[in-house]
Amino acid sequence: MRFEALREILLKGGVAPRHVRRYLAELTEHLDDLTEKQRALGYDGEDAEMRARALLGEDRELAAAMLEQKSFRSITARAPWLIFGILPPFAATAAMLVPLGVLALIGKVLGFAEKGAARPHWFELLATAAAACANLVFFPLVSVLFVALVARHRLSLYWALVAVAIPLILFLHSVAEFTIPGHPGIRIGVGMAPIFLAKGWKTMGAQWPTVAAQYVLALLPLVWLARRRLTAR
Amino acid sequence: MPSESALAAGLSELMVLRLLKEQEMYGYEIVQAIAVRTRQALTPGEGVIYPLLHALEKDGLLRSRRKSVGGRSRIYYSLTARGAKRLSAMTDHWTSLSNAVGAVLHAV
Repeated sequence: MRFEALREILLKGGVAPRHVRRYLAELTEHLDDLTEKQRALGYDGEDAEMRARALLGEDRELAAAMLEQKSFRSITARAPWLIFGILPPFAATAAMLVPLGVLALIGKVLGFAEKGAARPHWFELLATAAAACANLVFFPLVSVLFVALVARHRLSLYWALVAVAIPLILFLHSVAEFTIPGHPGIRIGVGMAPIFLAKGWKTMGAQWPTVAAQYVLALLPLVWLARRRLTAR
Repeated sequence: MPSESALAAGLSELMVLRLLKEQEMYGYEIVQAIAVRTRQALTPGEGVIYPLLHALEKDGLLRSRRKSVGGRSRIYYSLTARGAKRLSAMTDHWTSLSNAVGAVLHAV
């Protein structure tokens, strides 16, 4: 691909991917015009392309012009601690609430949310599935999202590690409970049980197969990125 | 006193705004027009025009739109009302600066 080296310099320099994409698109169009002009001047094939590329400017010069425009820096480059250090637990919680929200909506529409209302067995199964979905699909998806951000912005692997590790350390987990004394309905939600507290270990012990799967799935994107970076070296 | 690079940057901005006052253009056209009008006196790498165009657009001085002409799709830039005001202010500034420098250089 044309300008691959320039793309890497710009992304590593913190320029937002959308600005990089537009810059490279316009450079490509400009290079086509320059090449066409060189051909019209009598240069052919590779000669015309080389002359056009020289006229366009060296990668160093093209990169410097973009890097000195500070307003084109991405927010991940300007405040990675905010995006990868603070946002992940909130994003994970919000994502995990999606299947529970859908479940609550179904319960409300069908009248199962009423106090003392009888609920069919399939709704209990659905609630279990929603909790599993929150733990094993939506929670790992947040890891995928932040690892993809790190990959896209060519940031250090440490930021991916931070983004994945914080929700795991805080241990966000969803559980559906059905037979609770004095509680007529289903209790389902997203809870936080940090692993440095006894409560965390207790929950992990009780739910260990799901927890193990949740941790493995959340760590997989990180392993993928680490392998990709090692291969690229 | 502005540095040499600041002067050059200001000069590029002034020329771009002035050219786009006449008609909308795409990057390649702007660079060619600058080369012709300055008789090749300013020959930076042609691609460095784009970060300037993008910055001017971000500041609301230019607007852009993708347009297909002759089977080629390109991003065309044009001046906004804010850009026109900025051009007017910059033109006044550069004219007085140029007169001042000229007065020093041609003093007997």
